[in-house]
Amino acid sequence: MEERIIKFISALRSSGVRISLAESADAMNAVDHMGVQDREGFRLSLRSTLVKDAANLPIFEELFPLFFDSNQPPPLMNLSEDLTPEEAKMLAAALRQFKDQLQQMLERLMQGDQLNQQELDQLGKLVGLDQVDDMRYRDWMARRMEQALRFREVKEALRELMELLAEIGMNRQRVEQLRQMLQANQQSLEAQIHQFAGQKIAENMSERPPDESLDSLLNRPFNALSDKDLDRLRKEVSRLAAVLRTRVALRQKRAKSGQLDAKATIRANLKHGNVPIEIKHKDRTLKPKLVVICDVSTSMRPCSEFMISLLYAMQDQISKTHAFAFIDHLEYISPDFAGRDVRQAVSHVLERMPPGHYNTDLGYSLQNFTRQYLDTVDRRSTFIILGDGRNNYNDPRLNLLRDISRRSNRTIWLNPENPALWGTGDSDILKYAPLCDAVVQVGTLAELTAAVDKLLA
Amino acid sequence: MSVLDDFSTADEVKVALGKQKYIANDEIATITYLSQKLGKPLLTEGPAGVGKTELAKAISGATDRELIRLQCYEGLDETKALYEWEYAKQLLYTQLLRDKLQETLSEASNLAEAADRLASEEDVFFSMRFLLQRPLLKAILSDRPTVLLIDEIDRADAEFEAFLLEVLSDFQVSVPELGTLAAIHRPMVVLTSNNTRELSEALKRRCLYLFINYPSVEQEMAVVRLKVPDLSAKLARQAVELVHTLRNMDLRKSPSISETLDWAKALVTLNAKKLDPETLETTLSILLKHESDLQRAKRWLQQPPRSRFDDDEDPRLRGWRN
Repeated sequence: MEERIIKFISALRSSGVRISLAESADAMNAVDHMGVQDREGFRLSLRSTLVKDAANLPIFEELFPLFFDSNQPPPLMNLSEDLTPEEAKMLAAALRQFKDQLQQMLERLMQGDQLNQQELDQLGKLVGLDQVDDMRYRDWMARRMEQALRFREVKEALRELMELLAEIGMNRQRVEQLRQMLQANQQSLEAQIHQFAGQKIAENMSERPPDESLDSLLNRPFNALSDKDLDRLRKEVSRLAAVLRTRVALRQKRAKSGQLDAKATIRANLKHGNVPIEIKHKDRTLKPKLVVICDVSTSMRPCSEFMISLLYAMQDQISKTHAFAFIDHLEYISPDFAGRDVRQAVSHVLERMPPGHYNTDLGYSLQNFTRQYLDTVDRRSTFIILGDGRNNYNDPRLNLLRDISRRSNRTIWLNPENPALWGTGDSDILKYAPLCDAVVQVGTLAELTAAVDKLLA
Repeated sequence: MSVLDDFSTADEVKVALGKQKYIANDEIATITYLSQKLGKPLLTEGPAGVGKTELAKAISGATDRELIRLQCYEGLDETKALYEWEYAKQLLYTQLLRDKLQETLSEASNLAEAADRLASEEDVFFSMRFLLQRPLLKAILSDRPTVLLIDEIDRADAEFEAFLLEVLSDFQVSVPELGTLAAIHRPMVVLTSNNTRELSEALKRRCLYLFINYPSVEQEMAVVRLKVPDLSAKLARQAVELVHTLRNMDLRKSPSISETLDWAKALVTLNAKKLDPETLETTLSILLKHESDLQRAKRWLQQPPRSRFDDDEDPRLRGWRN
């Protein structure tokens, strides 16, 4: 049983649930207390110890039955016992009309034989089930296995068989009854195959080697990442954001130089008989403020999803973050983040601002910003632009950026484009650059990390 | 030792919670039972108003333990959560005891002796007498077993969460002037979170996780019948079903169980016999707290025929049940 639980845990891990060693030990402990007799109690003891995030509950519920439900597929009915000798003879005669393989299959259905383990394994090998370690392919694999068993032809053959039987002169009602039973048997077989496919995939998942190291992912350009990589990177981003936030907090703590904190001073100096030897100061409540403008136009699309998830993570960490997105005009996207998880939030923003034929226009977007949201920028804020500065030959409105830059604490431009391409074609980045405190290339997550670290410094 | 240890099955927990007028499903009962058996904090998450805080209260009632509550908020720090020296009282005492001190010190023949004497009296000023106990310390020092409720942990800062880890893992606190204070009885800890921010992995790792979602129609019916017995069964069902339909609409804030109960009480007070448009018009604001939600719900209620409130088993509503 323990082995089974451990396999289950590694399958959960490979589906993206974070489970620590301490938690798996807890799970074992909980199972010791609850026992394994009561299935519900067993399920709950595993769930409450292993899954600590509501978003991961569905994964748990999907995998649990695959590992711990009994291996017994639904039983099949044996029809041959049910038949009179005369009927059996008719059936045999009718069956002879079919080719070998189909005949075998039909006979199996008649007798209600389940597929045995060996047959299942063979089938699995035939369709390449051994290489699959993603639950999303479960249905597809099951279908491939059914195809290998020629289920469609069998269905066809069943209909023919029934017609034949009727022709030979079997009672119509009886034929209908037979048909229904055969159909039920076939469905049971399908269920068995589906179950097998699920279990096999789950096992493969638990044996999957650990994922590619993060380091190599960090250094891959944004547009060369697969969905799965993105997921992992997203996690990495939120972790980074948390790390950075703590770093900011530390920096602020060290740089305490606020007003005298009378309460804390008295408290600290009690031990000196109220002679104020240690002076305590109030923590400066200078929390960082961010105003971020993100280009989500077609040219930026490969990495804009990523940038938005970074925005999301930052908003989580730094409550005074105002996020905006633009293509041809500016939209305030911070409210879109509230109450959604990262993925939903990102897709919501991208849906709201679909890429189209219209022009990227940073100049006009800056004008939007100046008119409506300029009050979000003050001397405490860091103003960040995420974009490639490709402005489709529109007026760059340098004066607006100059104003904003003057108001803000610092202005930083993060550009995913290679510096060699800056200033070519419709790129206005070189015109904007002198107005910014820093222009940084961020083509990979490693560069992004470095940049974010720098900008929060 | 404690009453809680008397529970030997999850069902007993369920019954005991039931006596506290808390209707627990198998999930809640089992996980509560486990958390008590394993001595691990219970982290409950779920939408606002599904009875997470209520669960902690019910546990404290069921086990006859005192409930100590720590409400979290942004900026909560150790002095508010753990302890603080009551410096004003210390100052006052020094002033009042000045004569006595003078007397003690006057007998000293030289400075060194006076200092020694003063040092021997030092403990007076750094004793439990002057220690202002905040919820965490109170839970640790209580001479009777307690239930410690840390409410809305997601509102506290990440730093506080880290500090909490230390307390939750050892149940001991070190006060520099007094030394280490260890728990006499390990309190049973319940944390609640509305998931407004991700809690740290480290905190999650130390807890058992319980996700409480909105209850099914039957469960909510049971809650309403228990807490508002004056409402007729038929009306209660209609009300609960309407609430469930509202929850499935895309609203800014879905009605919670506590709001269902408020509404049910309002219906009793207004002596409503059925959910006619008039009653709904006047009472819907108890369920929905945003103007846009209200408008939306009203529009929706006007579309389908009224008749659906007359029969108990409407096929259209069935699909909405959880």
